[in-house]
Amino acid sequence: MSGAWQFYIATLVIYAFVYIIAASGLNLQFGVTGVYNFAFIIFQAAGAYCTAVLTLGPSSANGAFQHYIVGLHLPFPLPLLISGVVAGLLGVGLGALTVRRLRADYLAIVMLVISLIATGVVTDYQGLFNGAAGLALIPQPFASLTSNLVVYDWLYALFAGIVCALVLIAVRMLIESPLGRSLRAVRENENAAAALGKNVTALRLLVFGIGGAIAGISGSVLVSFTQAWSPESWLYAETFVLFTALIVGGVGSNLGPLIGAVLVPVVLAEGSRYLPQFGPPTLVPSLEWIAIGVVLLAFLWFWPRGILPERKRTFPSAAVSRPLTSQTTGDLAVKDLEKESGPSR
Amino acid sequence: MQSLVLYIGFGLVTASILCIGAVGFTLQFGISNLFNLAFGATMTAAAFVAYVCNSAGLNIWLSLVLATLAASVLSFLMNRGIYLPFERRATGKFTMIMVTLGVGIIIQYGIEAIWGGDNFSYNMAAGSPVHVASMLFTTTQLTVIAIAAVAATAVHVLLRYTRLGKAMRAVAVNARLARNCGIPVKAVVDSTWLISGALSGLAGVVLVIDVQVLNSGTGSDFFILIIAAAVLGGIGSASGAIVGSIIIGVVAEVAAGFINPEFKDISAFIILAVVLLLRPTGVISSIASAKEVAR
Repeated sequence: MSGAWQFYIATLVIYAFVYIIAASGLNLQFGVTGVYNFAFIIFQAAGAYCTAVLTLGPSSANGAFQHYIVGLHLPFPLPLLISGVVAGLLGVGLGALTVRRLRADYLAIVMLVISLIATGVVTDYQGLFNGAAGLALIPQPFASLTSNLVVYDWLYALFAGIVCALVLIAVRMLIESPLGRSLRAVRENENAAAALGKNVTALRLLVFGIGGAIAGISGSVLVSFTQAWSPESWLYAETFVLFTALIVGGVGSNLGPLIGAVLVPVVLAEGSRYLPQFGPPTLVPSLEWIAIGVVLLAFLWFWPRGILPERKRTFPSAAVSRPLTSQTTGDLAVKDLEKESGPSR
Repeated sequence: MQSLVLYIGFGLVTASILCIGAVGFTLQFGISNLFNLAFGATMTAAAFVAYVCNSAGLNIWLSLVLATLAASVLSFLMNRGIYLPFERRATGKFTMIMVTLGVGIIIQYGIEAIWGGDNFSYNMAAGSPVHVASMLFTTTQLTVIAIAAVAATAVHVLLRYTRLGKAMRAVAVNARLARNCGIPVKAVVDSTWLISGALSGLAGVVLVIDVQVLNSGTGSDFFILIIAAAVLGGIGSASGAIVGSIIIGVVAEVAAGFINPEFKDISAFIILAVVLLLRPTGVISSIASAKEVAR
């Protein structure tokens, strides 16, 4: 393959891994727990900005052509890890503001507005992350390993793949764990979960945090590759794309985010970005958006459970498999849940 | 002090446009219990209909009427053709939001596919400046304020003094009870979408008449302020939407004038965030509470 094609494909592979990471974070919130976080993209942005300012040197470097805060010039794995933590904390913070009190769709609208506020703040305060122009020349973490650009891209794709695999394994372990069962209980019936001693608000805040951290990691991986990040990179419509990806792939299923992220953002949106243009310059991108909208409506109408639906989970009944003592079956069920997830908070 | 009054004047113009849109958006939520995120795209579509009529040689005010009618029909069809079928399948509330967002994106980028990303403006006479107290308006802006006042009064009269309005309020508070009382809920919902669609079209065209720039994102960008105004006023309540619009409009322009022009949107959102923390159902909260939007 020629260099240009390899470059193109390696780029697509990296984008695919980044979208899969992000989609699995969103799946944890939206698919598993039923938290409608329409500001999801700002956590990716938080991770990206965090990585950018931690890896860039002081703001005065390069003739001070861009203004930003921090500028620590930290070595490789630190920015990635710190970005995850920062985005996770941001998730808990925003969640604490909203998640306790608002109806599901109202929460979605409020988060949408928060997402736009964040874009506005970052665009208008130039000193924060260089305003609308955004940050550029963000250092590449593995630049010292090779000077060949194509080799570097494949190396980076490998790195993104490893991060992606780790995130997928972690999310899967979480979903299959007793904690994951509690999260699904919150999604299916909040009141029943609360009646069984689950702290619904704390569980929601937890997934706001974990999902935010995963989004932050995806942003960190993305920005170290693209080396640039601006408010244009995280418009609220990107959140819409991720939600569409989940709905297409299968909401709440383990492999749904993977399939959805490859089909919707990569094939539909990024895939055509490097293809020959026809018509005026805005025609192809607008047709892509129309295609995403139509795909979304078609899936919601014809296949609302997606390509890989969440499998139905069955559990042996605790109440009948054990002899009844003086306790009621209700007590047993609670005891059982406690045993699985630790004492209730 | 003089300049404060001046900026309040600018704020009233923004508030007028917001008010038309916010009343329409909030009516849709009140009667259909649905956040229609395609509202902004409908505004843009109407503004482009007016642009086409205007380019064909029609007077801008006549174009405004035609565009308003077009938006009314478009909203009605959107509800009948897409939203209602989904709702009949007992689609979840969040999924409905995704449906409306999908419809909005299709309309917005459909417009962009046809007209591209360029800016357009209407062919109309520039208004002459008018001083009111120490506020400065153009005659066009005064017309915009007058249109908003007439629209708000009309909605108020409709809701307060007509049979249809009474039925609409009943459906907003409890649709099932309204149906059991013999109110033809379907017809009420249809009329609401015709009326609120007309308001979205009116808001879209009036917005472009005021800011004099039209592109495929015009309506969607402004729509965020409309959501903020409607939520601030108490979602579902028409009078709340008017209050919310005036607060957001005036604060946004005063902040833009005194602090920094780019502070315009942010200041509005800060108010919104505070309201959501202290009183998530908004200023006039009867319908928002009835629908339990917040705990």
